[in-house]
Amino acid sequence: MTRSTRLVIIATMWLAVSGAASAAEGTTVSELIADAEALAGSEVTVEGELVGDYGFRDDGWMWTQLNGDDYVHAPIVDGGEPTGGNTGVGVRMSFDLGQGLDPPGGYRNRGPIVRITGVWKHHDPARQGESYLEATSLIVVEPGRPLNQDAQWVAVLVGLGLVAVSVFLRIWRRDETESL
Amino acid sequence: MLVKPTKADFKVIGYYLGRIFLIVAAAGCLPLLWAVLTAEWHPFGSFALMIGVFTFLGMLGSRLAPRHPKLDWSHGMVVVALAWLVVPLIGAIPFVLSGHFGTPLDAIFDSVSGLTTTGLAVISDLDHLATSLNFWRHLLQFLGGLGIIVAALTVFVGPGGITLYFGEGRGERFLPSVTSMSRFIWTVAAVHLVVVVAALTLVGWLVLGFEVHRAAFHAITMFLAGFSTGGFAPQSTSIGYYHSAIFEAVAAISMVAGVMSFGLHHSLWRGPRRDAIANLETRTILSTLGFTLVLTLLGLAATAAFTDITGLTRQGLFQIFSAQTTTGWATIPSTELSGWGGLAFGGMAIAMALGGMGNSTAGGVKALRVGLTIKAVANHVKQALLPERAVVGAMYYQAGRRHLTHDTVMAVMTISLLYVALYLLGAGVGVAYGIPLQQALFESISASATIGLSVGVTDPSMPTLLQIVYMLQMWAGRLEFLALFSLVGFFYAAVRGK
Repeated sequence: MTRSTRLVIIATMWLAVSGAASAAEGTTVSELIADAEALAGSEVTVEGELVGDYGFRDDGWMWTQLNGDDYVHAPIVDGGEPTGGNTGVGVRMSFDLGQGLDPPGGYRNRGPIVRITGVWKHHDPARQGESYLEATSLIVVEPGRPLNQDAQWVAVLVGLGLVAVSVFLRIWRRDETESL
Repeated sequence: MLVKPTKADFKVIGYYLGRIFLIVAAAGCLPLLWAVLTAEWHPFGSFALMIGVFTFLGMLGSRLAPRHPKLDWSHGMVVVALAWLVVPLIGAIPFVLSGHFGTPLDAIFDSVSGLTTTGLAVISDLDHLATSLNFWRHLLQFLGGLGIIVAALTVFVGPGGITLYFGEGRGERFLPSVTSMSRFIWTVAAVHLVVVVAALTLVGWLVLGFEVHRAAFHAITMFLAGFSTGGFAPQSTSIGYYHSAIFEAVAAISMVAGVMSFGLHHSLWRGPRRDAIANLETRTILSTLGFTLVLTLLGLAATAAFTDITGLTRQGLFQIFSAQTTTGWATIPSTELSGWGGLAFGGMAIAMALGGMGNSTAGGVKALRVGLTIKAVANHVKQALLPERAVVGAMYYQAGRRHLTHDTVMAVMTISLLYVALYLLGAGVGVAYGIPLQQALFESISASATIGLSVGVTDPSMPTLLQIVYMLQMWAGRLEFLALFSLVGFFYAAVRGK
């Protein structure tokens, strides 16, 4: 083996290891949005909650949204504090990866928290300029769980009370009109 | 001499306000019903409370005066201005109680933004919001787009109906009576609702692979926001959530229908159809759309933001369409939009500022005013070039041939200048808070012209004063100033009049 061949092999191994390490280190969804152009085409590992819908399309891809914000661990419905809007990106994955996941996040559920490794497609020419993460692997970090919010019975009672008073006002007015 | 309003004046205003509140209370039953059907009991309570407050105030107002008291011009304007102030306040009750807003002001901001069909939002964690609350956000836009007054006029008719109708920023009379116009507007909305919701549901279900009930939910909310050119969306990533050109195209039908004046709808439905093409307003909006589109695409091409022509065209076209129709849906995040500089920014800003057609659900200066301004300027130039004694008259076609009179030009120029002043006001306040000029101007135009596109300035952490200024801009921009000035004048007369 010549010296130059050895150098090429070492360089390739280093690149492969560093690439894997950087993917494993993880990128946040916010970083993905902020550095969208710089990260274009690179492999990234992102953790977050799957929310919205699972759209299984005829072309063999499943589309959903990956959120990486404060509400992943503490949705407002579950007692989280309002700190701003959601931070999410579109994700597409093969049917195999998308099958069997817990229901996506919404009012009724906190979606599964997943760690997705994939390629960040920024302004993908194949999809007329859309930006999204194309998942190649998916690990469920935390399964989804149902969310519950108690009813606001006091508000219901006050509301009904006001409607009842209004009906009374209406009847009273009609009586007044009829007596004239 | 300023005449102090009498008790009777206040009673008449209270009576009509009460009637409008009753109509909104009835509309509030829809999300209540939605909450029952989906067993969302937490928002159910907040809707019950909101309906209770609207009903109580409505009934109280209705008791103030005998049935259908005479409504003069100033009463009508004050009723409209107050209705557009109070309805979003009470309409914000479900938002306040949802916990999705840091402060009541944030909730009121989204309510004002919804009703004025702006679409700027400071809601937190939208992606976990109850579907009934999400429906209410979009229904607010629909009511605001068609006009809560129009909604009221369809149900009750009083002698001052036409005053209320014009007070809501509608300047065109395409049918003889206000009742027939109101009913026509609702018919147009109902037909589009059925067609577009059906089409979007099918696309969501068959193309996007959503569950059918979810496809229907997305279809309903997106139609309500699109037809009202409001721009809310059920998910945090706006229309970009769907990652589908077909969905965008079908949703765009509702935007087109929304940006068209109801007079134009009438021409297309019942003739004469040639008006649709011959009208100055149609020609102006097509010209400005073409101009701003070319500007934006050239700007994007220069920055090499998109590497291929299809991406550039689809993304650029949708953003400019969304801006000019004053809808405000985005296929790209606000961080990316804020990076659009040069021609792309210029194209977007001009499209937003000019806006859609008058007597539609759209905002902005409006195409007819833009067209008439251009005609007036051209006329002045012509006058300057011809001999002193030459008389230059200008004609334009808008549902018939009309003379461009001095009064028309003055009215058009006044409103257009007021819009420019409104754009600059918000930009100035933004700059005072340290926001870069370009971003401050973009967000200010977005609020005043009721667009909803954001470059990230609108946020729960934004300064309170700026938030209040944006709310006032949305309110003034939606009502086109007249009702606003009448309200100020009325209260000034109440204090200083004799």
